[in-house]
Amino acid sequence: MKTLKYLAFLLISAGILSCEPAIDDFEPNQGSADFSVYVALGNSLTAGYADGALYKSAQQTGYPVMLAAQFASVGGGAFKVPYMLDEYGLGGRRVLGPSTNCLGVTSLGPIMYPGTLNPANAAWIGDQGPFQNLGVPGARVSHLLAPGYGMLNPYYGRFASNPTTSSVLADALAQSPTFFSLWIGANDVLGYSTSGGDNCGDSLTTPEAFALYYGMLLDNLLAGGAKAVVANIPDVTSIPFFNTVPFAALVLTDQAQVDGLNAAYQALGFTFQLGPNPMVIQDLNAPAGMRQATPQDLILLTIPQDSIRCAGWGSMKPVPHRYVLDALEVTKVRNTINAFNLAIEAEADERGLAFVDANGILRSAESGLVFDGVTLNTAFVSGGVFSLDGVHLTPKGNAVVANAFIDAINARFGASVPKVVVNDYPGVAFP
Amino acid sequence: MKKLSFTLLLSVVVTGMAIAGSFQVGLQGQKQTGMGLIGTGFTVGPSAVFFNPGSLTFLESKLSFSAGLSPIFSSVAFQKTAPSLYEAQTDNPMGTPFSFYAAGKLNDKLSLGLGVYTPFGSSTVWEDNWAGRFLIQNISLMSIYVQPTVSYRLNDKLGIGAGFVYAYGNVALEKAVPVVGQDGAEGQASLEGSTGAYGFNAGISFHPTDKLELGLTYRSTVRMKVEGGDATFTVPASLATSFPEENTFDAELPLPGSVNLGASYKLSDKLQLGFDFHYVFWNVYDSLNIDFGENTSSLDDSENPRLLKDNWIVRVGGQYLLNDKLTLRAGGYYDSPAVEDDYYSPETPDAVKIGLTAGLSYSPTAKLDVDLSFLYVIGIERDVTYAPADFGGKYKYNAVIPGIGIMYSL
Repeated sequence: MKTLKYLAFLLISAGILSCEPAIDDFEPNQGSADFSVYVALGNSLTAGYADGALYKSAQQTGYPVMLAAQFASVGGGAFKVPYMLDEYGLGGRRVLGPSTNCLGVTSLGPIMYPGTLNPANAAWIGDQGPFQNLGVPGARVSHLLAPGYGMLNPYYGRFASNPTTSSVLADALAQSPTFFSLWIGANDVLGYSTSGGDNCGDSLTTPEAFALYYGMLLDNLLAGGAKAVVANIPDVTSIPFFNTVPFAALVLTDQAQVDGLNAAYQALGFTFQLGPNPMVIQDLNAPAGMRQATPQDLILLTIPQDSIRCAGWGSMKPVPHRYVLDALEVTKVRNTINAFNLAIEAEADERGLAFVDANGILRSAESGLVFDGVTLNTAFVSGGVFSLDGVHLTPKGNAVVANAFIDAINARFGASVPKVVVNDYPGVAFP
Repeated sequence: MKKLSFTLLLSVVVTGMAIAGSFQVGLQGQKQTGMGLIGTGFTVGPSAVFFNPGSLTFLESKLSFSAGLSPIFSSVAFQKTAPSLYEAQTDNPMGTPFSFYAAGKLNDKLSLGLGVYTPFGSSTVWEDNWAGRFLIQNISLMSIYVQPTVSYRLNDKLGIGAGFVYAYGNVALEKAVPVVGQDGAEGQASLEGSTGAYGFNAGISFHPTDKLELGLTYRSTVRMKVEGGDATFTVPASLATSFPEENTFDAELPLPGSVNLGASYKLSDKLQLGFDFHYVFWNVYDSLNIDFGENTSSLDDSENPRLLKDNWIVRVGGQYLLNDKLTLRAGGYYDSPAVEDDYYSPETPDAVKIGLTAGLSYSPTAKLDVDLSFLYVIGIERDVTYAPADFGGKYKYNAVIPGIGIMYSL
């Protein structure tokens, strides 16, 4: 009798379970591409740099690692990354935490990540290669071609097959890649921009030089018959690094101070009132070497804000030029990026490469992108896309990029590479 | 540094309570469930309180009771919009719609009745970490209608009736909040609230011959307004002030009314066949708006368009009296979707639904029926999206619903 009961129970359970709805599986497809040997070339964005440093979990959530994982379902092979040994990594990692400013007010913001550098993070591991993620923080387009670049850039030097003689390009070609991604060029404008523009020690790559080196890279990489995806350069002036500290960061609360500043700057025609005021900034082209900022001037995220609050920056003293990308410089940067992007898209068209409009994605993200119920935008900290250095992407931002690459690849090669689930990856983490 | 303010668009969601077309629960009587859930023009006992108050007065017994329970085993499979390998499946708890009816004759013309039943409800439980978690993790919706009813026979052929409905409703749901802690834990919002509301159910029953029965009923829309429901947020400590811990919410959820038309015909002493047609006013469910008691720069009120459209259901079924102890039933129905392709929220297992039913009554005495029913619901696969949240994919729903009940007539 008991046996019968069990039997009846089992039959009923089986009947119910067998009724579970099933949907035909999605079938991935490589199309006309061959992902068996995929290498990723680029700069810090490709390396997986974030929060001001290259560290392990950020490398693991860089877009090339995501792409390689998705390629695995369409014939992709191993993807080796020159990993850091820890979460401190190499650089100056930031994390969100409380800090107290010169007025004694405590608030949440980026602070240094606790810990110390493990020297092994900078040690040579080139003998453990070949590595398929060849992204090098700081690299410009010309650097990828340069033999011995490892001597100049420790991020490459540590994993170069031979730091004194090898180039990133040669390390890629040695693997006979069947597929590569190339996202390069941001540092050809970024170094100039993040150091404050003209007369600050860095320069823009000329469009002519960019096109020349970019073409040389592609000539070499495509010679073996590889297929490829390339991405253009986001307008760096749209990133949080340049759009977080407002031009009117000088907040005056004391009428006596307002009156004093108005009197002091009367000759120059600067005016002040209670509330937010355009800061006084250094400008070598202005009559007195200074002027009041306008909305077109971008204040750098690195400006010491306590100096504005407590040391008279922007009021008693002009903000030093190296903390401002002024309106003229912004225009220069944008024109340069436009020229680079025209060259990249023309090369992609001509050579039949999949093309990612990374700049277009950044534009759309400014007004907000929705993924599975989560709205992302380019705001610092809260936007979810940019990490705490205001330049590089969060894991979530990398996932958005990975999907854009996949869309471009699927469209160009008739493939069905599955996309990543964007919200599997975090944005900025809160304490 | 810029102030850490952000709008999380808690906005985009907070759900449509899984009731649509889908979980309008048709399980208000075991005999009816056995034959395609028809009953507007097919009177089989005191469940007429629900199915057609106008026919209550045609019941032969002086006093009758019935009660039943229909455990629902439902499941939804999901596959994210291509190209994606992401799949998920609900782990829904058993739903438990029940019904209880009593009917009595005051005299030849006048009958009174009482019904307690659960016309709307659902439980949808996705895994907490599933891809649609920012829309919904789990939701449970329950409604209980209590309906005192009066029915009056105008003549041998025509009866009318109406019942006043008091509806009690409870909703509880959880969804992820898009903030992440340094421990990797995402935020979560839990909402729970209860409320009461009123409505009515009225019907006409027409018996032109001994063999033919016709019915027409109207059920009103019941607007459930939750006021001061509990809204609880679990977020990283540094964001606690942005998501007040002991918050409240107000929301309104309409439970749609319907017009129902039915007929049945006795082909022989043993065989009776019938059909029902329902037109359900889902159009009343335009948007689910959550008004939080306390808003912050991170927590706005939330408007969630639903834009449901009216749907219709065609049901057919019949019963066969095998002998004086055993009655067999069978039927089926077609239930059209109420949710548009671009506004499909994953708490709502809506689809074209095909129902196949079977049932029987065993009558040990002339007064007692033991009713068994079985309903298998097949949802036709849909490839849809909830556009405001940009979340979509293929959904496929089904349910297995056995049922048991008794009816006792004096």
